[in-house]
Amino acid sequence: MIVIKAQDLTFTYSGSKKPAIENLNLEVKEGEFIVITGPSGCGKTTFARCLNALIPSFYRGEMKGFILVLGMDISKSTTSQLSKYVGFVFQNPENQLFSLSVERDVAFGPENLGLPREEVRRRVEWAMKVTGITHLRHAAPYELSGGQQQRVAIASILAMKPKIIVLDEPTSFLDPLSAHQIIETVSNLRSEMEITIILIEHRLDLASRYADRVIIMDRGRIILEGPPSKVYGEDAEAIGVGIPKISLLFNLLKREGYDLGCTPVTLEEATQAIRRRIMDDRS
Amino acid sequence: MSLKLFEGFRFTGKRTPIHRMDPRPKLLIASSIFLLSILFTNIIVLLILLIAQLPLIYLAKSLRRWSNSLRGGAVLATLIFIMNFLTGSTLVFSLSMTLRFLVLISAFSLFFLTTSPDDLGLVLERLHLPYTLSFTFTTAVRLVPTVALEAQTIVDAQRSRGLELDRGNIIERLRRHIPILIPLIVSAIRRSTELAEALESRAFGSCENRESLITLSMKWTDYFVAIATIIILLVGIFVRLWIPLPSLDESIRLPSIWV
Repeated sequence: MIVIKAQDLTFTYSGSKKPAIENLNLEVKEGEFIVITGPSGCGKTTFARCLNALIPSFYRGEMKGFILVLGMDISKSTTSQLSKYVGFVFQNPENQLFSLSVERDVAFGPENLGLPREEVRRRVEWAMKVTGITHLRHAAPYELSGGQQQRVAIASILAMKPKIIVLDEPTSFLDPLSAHQIIETVSNLRSEMEITIILIEHRLDLASRYADRVIIMDRGRIILEGPPSKVYGEDAEAIGVGIPKISLLFNLLKREGYDLGCTPVTLEEATQAIRRRIMDDRS
Repeated sequence: MSLKLFEGFRFTGKRTPIHRMDPRPKLLIASSIFLLSILFTNIIVLLILLIAQLPLIYLAKSLRRWSNSLRGGAVLATLIFIMNFLTGSTLVFSLSMTLRFLVLISAFSLFFLTTSPDDLGLVLERLHLPYTLSFTFTTAVRLVPTVALEAQTIVDAQRSRGLELDRGNIIERLRRHIPILIPLIVSAIRRSTELAEALESRAFGSCENRESLITLSMKWTDYFVAIATIIILLVGIFVRLWIPLPSLDESIRLPSIWV
């Protein structure tokens, strides 16, 4: 089933002459894990905002083409209507937590949906368990580390049981270890529930391992798209995307004349490719 | 100085009997102290009102923060004293007015130090205030320390670029604060946009009758405190109306010292 379908989507913020995204075409299947990346100002955040109707209901501007999210036309929906289906995790954890205890914050979304108390309680417990923050239940967000705060933000989105979760650079305020844990938490979600994940991320070393598909954007357009091993070629480098180190190494080797026949994304894939090559050379 | 004053009103998540208390009796205590301090001008009563709060503050393990809030209010308190005394009030009366101000600061400092803005929101909801309004209020309370911290960062940043804040006369000093104010306002606006975005994404305001996960419940100790407070308040009103109190006022006024 297609959950997101964008066709010739173009959006220009009011007051700006150049469109932030231009003629974007994309289809996302249910349950896919998609990583969107690209240099700053490439339009990835703008695209993310379209997914839960922050564009055009919150940010004004001119929209052409259309985008359907779970069959709903976003130009006719509001963000709060869509929030039941599309969860959105923002960059700065500080500005998306509203309460002074973790538990209450996770409960905030379901409460706003007008759910009965027992259901809210059930969802809060579940969401805290999935993200591993149950022990922080009574802590105040400002007492937590950035990584923990971001986990709370993810939990509070999960508690609304969305079909799609959009994460807009959730690790950019975090140290490497916390970033790693956040990506792990996100990838674990797929085993817990039927969910489509759209992750906007610069740290491709971490995120690529789990991605079904990587989308590289530049100047408002999709430049490259496909499974990570197909995308991290020299073109991606040229745009200025921080492709995984191991992919970069293989690209460099290829340039020097040692074509290993693939672009690995993880260390395991790389060692396999090298071992294969050695075997071939021997025989 | 101003930042310190805020510190004295910022909720700290300590686990003490006062923190655990239901917010309603706490609000009752604060409002009763407020009411009594307005009713009486007698310096002894005001002194009692201030001292009576000490055990509570001690129980809440917040003595240091509480004294910070008093120190933060000291400038204004001094001003109140000087203004009263200069305009011809007696020495004792001027002191009383200053004391009244400190009593008020102390009472509300105690309330805000020990009451989570979340709980305050629940009280406001119980009072049938619209949810958006109580939410706005609690968010404002919650953001005070964050913005104070941000202000400090901006001050440090501008100082490291050579901005001198404490030089010149008062006009000059105010003018020197402009490079602090503008970034602070800009960042506050940016923050509010981000908050609004996040609120939209969490279905804020999409449903009329929301049910809170946490509900307020009064324990017998809470009832006891509430009843005791009401009795003290009633006694206070009774005394104010029918029992004359000894006055310490010996009519020391500014002109009589001068003459």
